[in-house]
Amino acid sequence: MNCDEARRLLDAYFDRELERSAVDEIEMHLERCEHCRSELAALEELHARLARAPRYKAPPALRRQLETLTDLPAQAEGVRARTAWPSWAMAASLLLSFAFGATVTWLYARNAAQTSPQRLLADDMLNGHLRALAAASPVDVISEDRHTVKPWFAGKVEVAPSVVDLASEGFPLVGGRIDYVGGQRTPVLVYRRRQHVIDVYWMPAAQPPAPEIQQQGYWLSPCRIGGRPVQIVADVDRQELARFCDLLSRP
Amino acid sequence: MAKRAGAALDLGLVRDLALPHLDAAYNLARWIIGSDDDAGDVVHTAFLRAARYVHTYAGGNARAWWLSIVRNCCLATLGARSKREVSLESLESDDLAFERRDDSIEESLHLAQSAALILKELQSIPVEYREVLVLRELEDCSYREIADILSVPIGTVMSRLARARALIRKALTTTGENRHEL
Repeated sequence: MNCDEARRLLDAYFDRELERSAVDEIEMHLERCEHCRSELAALEELHARLARAPRYKAPPALRRQLETLTDLPAQAEGVRARTAWPSWAMAASLLLSFAFGATVTWLYARNAAQTSPQRLLADDMLNGHLRALAAASPVDVISEDRHTVKPWFAGKVEVAPSVVDLASEGFPLVGGRIDYVGGQRTPVLVYRRRQHVIDVYWMPAAQPPAPEIQQQGYWLSPCRIGGRPVQIVADVDRQELARFCDLLSRP
Repeated sequence: MAKRAGAALDLGLVRDLALPHLDAAYNLARWIIGSDDDAGDVVHTAFLRAARYVHTYAGGNARAWWLSIVRNCCLATLGARSKREVSLESLESDDLAFERRDDSIEESLHLAQSAALILKELQSIPVEYREVLVLRELEDCSYREIADILSVPIGTVMSRLARARALIRKALTTTGENRHEL
């Protein structure tokens, strides 16, 4: 390793972010090179000086404000303590808020009855897909190797998905991520077809297969991997989608 | 009832995710924005935003998720501010230069050894370098966390951090160069 290489890795070395093999190399270089040693000492000195910069603490008022915001019973408490309303006013307002709450609940229940659970799941998946496309990277773990992707899910979700390698068929694996679908952490395998991102949602076993739908230009299409229901979300054309599903479900 | 329970749950979740890292959020906002009042406002806005988008939290590092929301709100505020006050920044840097020329040797000796100089120099470097220094040196974030907070690759974090350190070192030695090492 020469000085240029060492200098490039020195910050990461100082921050203990280098991998073992690079650490060995850079330490060998540091033993020989006084210049790089003095650079490392300068990083240490800078670190010590920056430690004197203030670390601002959140003002207690802000913390209280946010706590109150998230803590509804505590908020009610606070209101009662500050203003001593006559008891008839309390009773009237309780009645009013109860009536209001009942109306809201009734409206919501009526609304919810019109939206099928499958529809809500489809919305969750489509939103997850769009969000992933808008993010810097559509995956949390980047790997073309299924032996990296599957273990990544272990411990993060109840059942790690089986990962099928379809690179030779023109659907390379990009990686995986976890989305919330119907309030559940759901593993997503991410494949690519040319410039298109294809998400494969690993559905809970008990889930009845959803019908194929097209929404905002994206296909949501049910498929199976090894008997498990999955849901494909992508904007590839219908034939390619069918071929992809065929390949996935092949034993 | 289902609706109300759902809303309460989301607020509960965002409280669990964000409030443990409230000091980190405030510190980051304070360093990016530069004033206490604005930092408080931005963190408050960020918290409401986090509550609204709490479903985007896909597990993993809560601090990085929350700080990235805080940072985005800070940059939005800075953007809005720079449109309103275009000329202020150049005025301020002129003032600073004038002040520096006037410093007596004793004063700069004192300054160089005090936290005030570090505060001043760290506050004066560009925000994209300041934020990585704050995250790494003050908040002790890993490269992975910083990459997530800034939505950039780790390689970019490494080069930006190296550049930031070079900048602040230069600023500190230039200002403190009258100082005689004892």
